[in-house]
Amino acid sequence: MEYAIVLLPLLGAVISGFFGKKLGSRSSQILTSLFVLTSSILSLIIFYKALVHDYTSNKLIFNWISSGNFYVNWSINIDPLTSVMLVVVSLVSAIIHFYSIGYMSHDPHKTRFMAYLSLFTFSMLILVTADNFLQLFFGWEGVGLCSYLLIGFWYKRPAANAAAIKAFVVNRVGDFGFAIGIFLIFFFYDTVNYNEVFQLTPLYVEKKVILLGIELNLITLICVMLFIGAMGKSAQILLHTWLPDAMEGPTPVSALIHAATMVTAGVFLVVRCSPIFEYSTTALNIVTSVGMATAFFAATVALVQNDIKKIIAYSTCSQLGYMFFAAGIGAYHVAIFHLITHAFFKALLFLGSGCVIHSFKDEQDIRLMGGVWKKIPYTYVLMVIGTLALTGFPFLSGYYSKDAIIEFAYLKGNTIGYCAASVGVLTALLTAIYSWRLIFKTFHGKYKNKVNSLSSIHESPLTMLLPSCFLALGAIFIGFLFKEMFIGHDSSQFWNSSILFLKSIQTHYLPAWLHILTPLIVVLAIPISYYLFVQNEKILNNFVLKNKSLHNFLLNKWYFDEAYNFIFIQPLKKAGLFLWKKGDIDTIDRYGPDGLSRVIKIISDKAVNFQSGYLYHYAFVMLVGFSILLTYLILQ
Amino acid sequence: MLAHSLFFYFFSSITVFSAIMVTVSKNTVYSVFFLILVFVSVSILFIMIGAEFLGMIMLIVYVGAVAVLFLFVVMMLNISKQLVKQPSRKGLINNISVGSIVGTIIFLEVLIVIGGWKYKDTFVSLSSTNLNLEISNTHALGNILYTDYIHLFQISGMILLVAMIGAITLTFTKRDNVKRQNYFDQIQREKSSAISLVEVESGKGVKFDD
Amino acid sequence: MIEIGLGHYLTLAAIIFSIGVIGIFLNRKNIIIILMSIELILLAVNINLVSFSIYLQNMVGQVFAMFILTVAAAEAAVGLAIIVIYYKNKGSIHVEQISSLKG
Repeated sequence: MEYAIVLLPLLGAVISGFFGKKLGSRSSQILTSLFVLTSSILSLIIFYKALVHDYTSNKLIFNWISSGNFYVNWSINIDPLTSVMLVVVSLVSAIIHFYSIGYMSHDPHKTRFMAYLSLFTFSMLILVTADNFLQLFFGWEGVGLCSYLLIGFWYKRPAANAAAIKAFVVNRVGDFGFAIGIFLIFFFYDTVNYNEVFQLTPLYVEKKVILLGIELNLITLICVMLFIGAMGKSAQILLHTWLPDAMEGPTPVSALIHAATMVTAGVFLVVRCSPIFEYSTTALNIVTSVGMATAFFAATVALVQNDIKKIIAYSTCSQLGYMFFAAGIGAYHVAIFHLITHAFFKALLFLGSGCVIHSFKDEQDIRLMGGVWKKIPYTYVLMVIGTLALTGFPFLSGYYSKDAIIEFAYLKGNTIGYCAASVGVLTALLTAIYSWRLIFKTFHGKYKNKVNSLSSIHESPLTMLLPSCFLALGAIFIGFLFKEMFIGHDSSQFWNSSILFLKSIQTHYLPAWLHILTPLIVVLAIPISYYLFVQNEKILNNFVLKNKSLHNFLLNKWYFDEAYNFIFIQPLKKAGLFLWKKGDIDTIDRYGPDGLSRVIKIISDKAVNFQSGYLYHYAFVMLVGFSILLTYLILQ
Repeated sequence: MLAHSLFFYFFSSITVFSAIMVTVSKNTVYSVFFLILVFVSVSILFIMIGAEFLGMIMLIVYVGAVAVLFLFVVMMLNISKQLVKQPSRKGLINNISVGSIVGTIIFLEVLIVIGGWKYKDTFVSLSSTNLNLEISNTHALGNILYTDYIHLFQISGMILLVAMIGAITLTFTKRDNVKRQNYFDQIQREKSSAISLVEVESGKGVKFDD
Repeated sequence: MIEIGLGHYLTLAAIIFSIGVIGIFLNRKNIIIILMSIELILLAVNINLVSFSIYLQNMVGQVFAMFILTVAAAEAAVGLAIIVIYYKNKGSIHVEQISSLKG
């Protein structure tokens, strides 16, 4: 059964990719969607088994490397963490498959899209079912590749191509750190299998290594390197620049990859390596700080964006920051819980925004929308549900997971915990503001679209609405249903050995005011933002006019892209140009092939003179040769 | 001994000088004349050294035949018209310098080879080919030429024959306005194509169709 | 120096040989000079052979010199015939204009 879960999407990808033309687009779409649906149903069964029977297993697919003491296998490893991730990945992927049947109905390359989606699902499943770092890395790279393919799906658009390359390259930078982490693990542990590494880690706690003359703790170095990989994949600050540009891809892609699955691979990595991370407080603090910084930064930028998908992209970035700082304070189970709920409501938001874009005939600027909540009521309801869940409105999923993060941060007790908690509350406020800004600007107020008339706005087809409804159900109920199991008192019984807690976190003593602080802020944000964005827009316009530089700073994403361009891209381009022109063409080519051919030509030009046709030239040459021979014989 | 060396130096200097003038002189006829001078002086040297038959033969064959042949050809072809000056490379590396260098090298090498030659101690010569000072050179040559080297003698005759045929074949031109006999055709003529019997009526004569 | 030995004759032969060799490629006039230089070379060899023969009291050298004489004469004849025909065909025997072998 485990084999079917992982390999069915691969089968779907291969069939749709190579035989899509023969099968026809309709049947390949249905085929791939059914395969992934089967995969998700099977993973639900596995999850149930893991829940009730504490089911774990390790099924071997293939022996990959077996050299001396070092062996690495392709295998499907199921433990509680994996089973949860399997459900999330396959379920969301199945829903997205069905959604894309409707969304991509006008696209001529449907089979290629479905093939890529299924390939992505396969890579992600390989990633989460790995039992060693090499298979994880394979899945890691696989999802990066599929992200590139899918972002640049409309390859005729130059902006899409550039965004795809940007995503891949920034991911690569993270992967470089990740690879170094794996190398360090191999070098010191002589193995890359999880269980062996995790068992050996306590022995290496005090080990120090010298890097560039600086003495570092080995475990800290490994954790930081692995985290760099996670930063790249999950778009944390400094390596986040690819995520907003990745919105060039179709909306289902954004929903699947950049909301629910690929960006969560980083969180999964940190949680999976919790046995290593727990032994290095420095690394954990770094994780927390980066997570906090990302959450705050992304929320501020999302406040002023005008593209509907970019707002949701920055929201993803911010929520990932939440997950990371939850992991950083040691509350790995809360991070995973937030990952699950976030997958549902973020995917819902993306799919809803896809419906909105579809209704507005490919319009994505929220300043050109407005006042259509009566015309597209289903989309409106779905988006509102998603927003409520995102902001943490009481009793929806986001409330349980997000508040748990803030509470655990507060309970940690040390400065970094308090800092994290306050940043968390502030970011929650910002999240609420920008999310409601999105809703109000899109659906309320005056109708501002110049191109389409109000009457032409109609509801999206059922193929797009129905999968979104499933996600809405998940967004509403998952938090309440699974709260006790994942983050409650006995949750460590569920998580068992898949997550390591060195010091268990107290969950009982919690000040009452903390319980109600965040929900209060969130609820109050609704009427405030309604007032600011719908009733009286002039206040904000004046504010923007007075603080143009601040507004620009936020609008241009804190000028990160420009800074990177200045620091890295331009010098690299110049260096590359120099190396190409001077190094390659002038030096290597000139003395290598070009030089060789030139020398040969020169020699042959001179050698032509030998064949002058004059007899005495020939006689002379004969004579010279004879004298040389004679000299040689005499001298011998 | 003094006379011997005097003669040797005198005639060898004439030889060398004439040899140089063969290659250097501008007029081709002069070159041929100098070649004749070379042959004559070398022949004198041969007579001096004791091989008088060879010296005489050289005089007769080389001077009398080969050099005269050269002269014939020089006179036949219009050589005087061919004094076209062609540009030789200016500067240090021109024809003459390179040529002299190579020539000097060859000369020195020949000297070294000869100078370093040590003949075998156990040099055994064929008894019949030994120089016998009582008989004349001609007699001695005849003794071994027609006995030990008879095959080579015949072959050299063959060579001369072939050369003669070759020279004639090369230069033979059929002239168009000269009547010649083609005896193959003459012998192969049939009665039927040569003679025809004609009935002649009296007083009428015969018509020819040439 | 007074006593003329084998070496002197051999040196003389070497000198004539080199002059003949130089004459082949140093002439810029016509092909007849080349043929005459070849005759000089053969003559030098003849001198060599005869002097060795006299010095070693062996008749073989002179026999061989006679054969060389024969062959030289034959070769001169054929060479001149070729030159005559060439002149008839091309109209010139100036060495600079004989470059049909040019490749």
